[in-house]
Amino acid sequence: MKKTKTKPQISLLSLSLSLSLSESKMKEEAMEAILRNTVQNSLRHFMYKNAIFFSEFLCAEFPSEANLQLLASCYLQDNRAQCAYHILKGTQMAQSRYLFALSCFQMDLLNEAEAALCPANEPIAEVPNGGAGHYLLGLVYRYTDRRTNAVHHFKQALSLDPLLWTAYEELCILGAAEEAAAVFGEGAAICIQKQYLHHTFASHNSHVSEEDRNLTSSRNLVSAEEVSPRQLKQLSGNNVREVPGSCQGMTTSVRGAGQPPNGVYHLSLYNTPSPIATQFSAAAPPPLCRNLQPNGSNTSTAAADSSPRSTINSTIQAPRRKFVDEGKLRKISGRLFSDSGPRRSTRLAAEAGANAGTNAASVAGNGTNNSSKYLGSSKLSSAAFRSVTVRKVPNWANENFDEGMRNEVFDDCRSNIVSGAGALPSVDNKALDQEGATMPCSGVLLNNSKVLTGTAEILSLLRLFGEGYRLSCMYRCQDALEVYSKLPHKHYNTGWVLSQHLKEGMKLSYLARELISTDRLAPQSWCAIGNCYSLQKDHETALKNFQRAVQLDSKFAYAHTLCAHEYVALEEFENGIRSYQSALRIDSRHYNAWYGLGMVYLRQEKFEFAEHHFRTACRINPSSSIIMSYLGTALHALKRNSEALEMMERAILADRKNPLPMYQKAKILESLESFDEALEVLEELKEYAPRESSVYALMGMIYKRLNMNDKAMLHFGLALDLKPSATDVATIKAAMEKLHLPDELAEDS
Amino acid sequence: MATESSEGEEEGKLTGGSPVLSEDDDLREKGKKASWSVSSWKSGNGVSSLRDDSLETYWQSDGAQPHFVNVHFEKKVKLQLVVLYVDYKLDESYTPSKVSVRAGDGFHSLKEIRSVELVEPTGWVYISLSGNDPRETFVNTFMLQIAVLSNHLNGRDTHVRQIKVYGPRPNPIPCQRFQFTSPEFNTYAFVR
Repeated sequence: MKKTKTKPQISLLSLSLSLSLSESKMKEEAMEAILRNTVQNSLRHFMYKNAIFFSEFLCAEFPSEANLQLLASCYLQDNRAQCAYHILKGTQMAQSRYLFALSCFQMDLLNEAEAALCPANEPIAEVPNGGAGHYLLGLVYRYTDRRTNAVHHFKQALSLDPLLWTAYEELCILGAAEEAAAVFGEGAAICIQKQYLHHTFASHNSHVSEEDRNLTSSRNLVSAEEVSPRQLKQLSGNNVREVPGSCQGMTTSVRGAGQPPNGVYHLSLYNTPSPIATQFSAAAPPPLCRNLQPNGSNTSTAAADSSPRSTINSTIQAPRRKFVDEGKLRKISGRLFSDSGPRRSTRLAAEAGANAGTNAASVAGNGTNNSSKYLGSSKLSSAAFRSVTVRKVPNWANENFDEGMRNEVFDDCRSNIVSGAGALPSVDNKALDQEGATMPCSGVLLNNSKVLTGTAEILSLLRLFGEGYRLSCMYRCQDALEVYSKLPHKHYNTGWVLSQHLKEGMKLSYLARELISTDRLAPQSWCAIGNCYSLQKDHETALKNFQRAVQLDSKFAYAHTLCAHEYVALEEFENGIRSYQSALRIDSRHYNAWYGLGMVYLRQEKFEFAEHHFRTACRINPSSSIIMSYLGTALHALKRNSEALEMMERAILADRKNPLPMYQKAKILESLESFDEALEVLEELKEYAPRESSVYALMGMIYKRLNMNDKAMLHFGLALDLKPSATDVATIKAAMEKLHLPDELAEDS
Repeated sequence: MATESSEGEEEGKLTGGSPVLSEDDDLREKGKKASWSVSSWKSGNGVSSLRDDSLETYWQSDGAQPHFVNVHFEKKVKLQLVVLYVDYKLDESYTPSKVSVRAGDGFHSLKEIRSVELVEPTGWVYISLSGNDPRETFVNTFMLQIAVLSNHLNGRDTHVRQIKVYGPRPNPIPCQRFQFTSPEFNTYAFVR
């Protein structure tokens, strides 16, 4: 049933439809509205089967593309992308195309996803859903190896919506990100403000509660990946026609006459809230606004539209600091809410006016539910997370940050966005966590200055996160660390910090346990556990854990690399090579996989291959002294000794604390018979690592060659004292024997 | 070439046998990449029963003594230990008694490196290949031959249920002569 743009949005409880509707029409509309509401309710309670049943019912009774979208959304929520795919195939509405593209993406039908988002025969057609659409398209291009296009679309996404954090992350990973200060700077501030200021005028709502609930749940209907109030609008059946409609409806109510009829124009201003709730479970899309200030005037359209934004504003207004004085919070006209369930419900109960009624109760219930669910499924180390229940900007940003940070656990600074995007299929409770973010607020308080300060706060934090992440993607880890250290203390002190001490098995296992207890569905959790086992040298079990991570998310390049590392440790080189190659297919800039392959080839004595792979790894990550020193080793094996020495020097400079390149340098010098220089290097090395047996062993070997037998014996003895492996004991003792019998013919050493 | 023990052939008696195979962390089983063959076998009890990780199946020879198990490696390997699973309670007169281990580049150049006499063994029997000299911890060879010279109760044919061959673990870091012992070195050994 079509509604014109000027019709107000239907609110379920206050069935205040336009009086011009006929009785039967009213009945039909009521029926449709009830059905939609049922679906949304079911979704909110994760009762997918029920939701799907009613969606199908709805589509049968009231066939319309909007209802089809709702059904598709249900399927997507229930992880049945293929069903969504089939029902949306061929649809043309922007939102349908977007959902269809999403389904294709989840089913790995990247070509179709691309065609849906930018049809080949309509080159100038607008990418549906603005920033979100561009972001999805960017992902499609990324996975089909068209880097330039991917970069273009991510940038588009960001320009349409500066709060599309994950688009920025993707750019960092692709190595094409501009400095965070530029991206999250003035232009971004203006863009965000524009979007919100639109709605401050339209903040007076009635019937908001119900709509909010609709919106909230419809928000969840949308793919786990993205949410946009625009979509919400459509889903709530408000706007059957096209995306712009909703926006327009809102602006119409705000500005009155004179709005351009075509909503397309407004699209760019339409704020697509940060979509990537899935990737960062806590990154909630704008919580819906609940206007507790009943106000007769409004149009419900305005309400619906403004709600998400108003809420964001209220969120923004909340003080940054973690333990915001709750007292202050309450004081701020009691409108700002923290996310904690009980408080919200109390407040709601207290303030719920006529409107609230049952809504408040249910929402409160929801709130409680959701916040705990939110907490539960957060990927953060629960310890760190529990302390923050407030859904203020920093928190949200924090979780984003932590996600990125946690990825750092697994690879120094190489987060895997893919994990987020790729996690789509595993229907994240995260999507539903968005519920948890439902934060009622009052539109009334919003005004220019608060939007400004709020935006400014968000952006300043984003600048830090963004710059840190960008640097870490370029492996300028020290710089990244410095940037991150400017973040508020609470952000810093999370699982990420624990992860820095990777080799400290205990801390790692603590982290792993926390991760698993908070989110079993996250491949990262399994990776953390796998790393624990690997540290304990139980490579088979480690491998199993990494394989599980791969199962959960086959696009998680790092999981493949970790599998490969274990295969290599188990000496199953073919499998190792295969896994490294899988990782590279997903992410050709995954330098660990390049390095891993180099190591295998080194072992197999295929030195040219080894050199090539180490060099590539080096190019991607120019600050890893370990990779440089292995490159040097390969060069030495290829007898390109001057190059090898040069590489070792670079490695030494890159990290003074890494003793290996010095050791290798000494070995190379020894092979070139520059014994004195070699000994010099080793003497210095003794300072760094006084208990390293191989240093003394090598020195003994050199003294032996210099026929300085006493010194040789001394050093061999020292080497033995440091308990080398059985093989080395044999070698060293054999060498010692030869010292005693200088006249014997040289045996093969 | 096989390294000979400076004192000539060593004789030793081995009794008992451990029911469980305990594998040292320093050691690696090297038989997987080798080619195994036997001098003779009864149909259905061939060489594969020696390497199937099942203690139920066994190799049974079928001919005159001595019986041989030959192990050919792709390239020279360092070996340190041979472990047999034999069970007097199950196999009685088929249980090997005198066992000789030889090594060399090929059949023509095999030399005995160890010889033992088993006395009613019941489980895994460890035969070390190391000499007394630390230089002789390992045997560096292309080929290994395990010869069953006689059985308990003068049985003609023999049963062996499983054989494993161990050598030292290779350096996890490629192209490195010595293994690293200190945490300072090991932290920087790998990229994860």
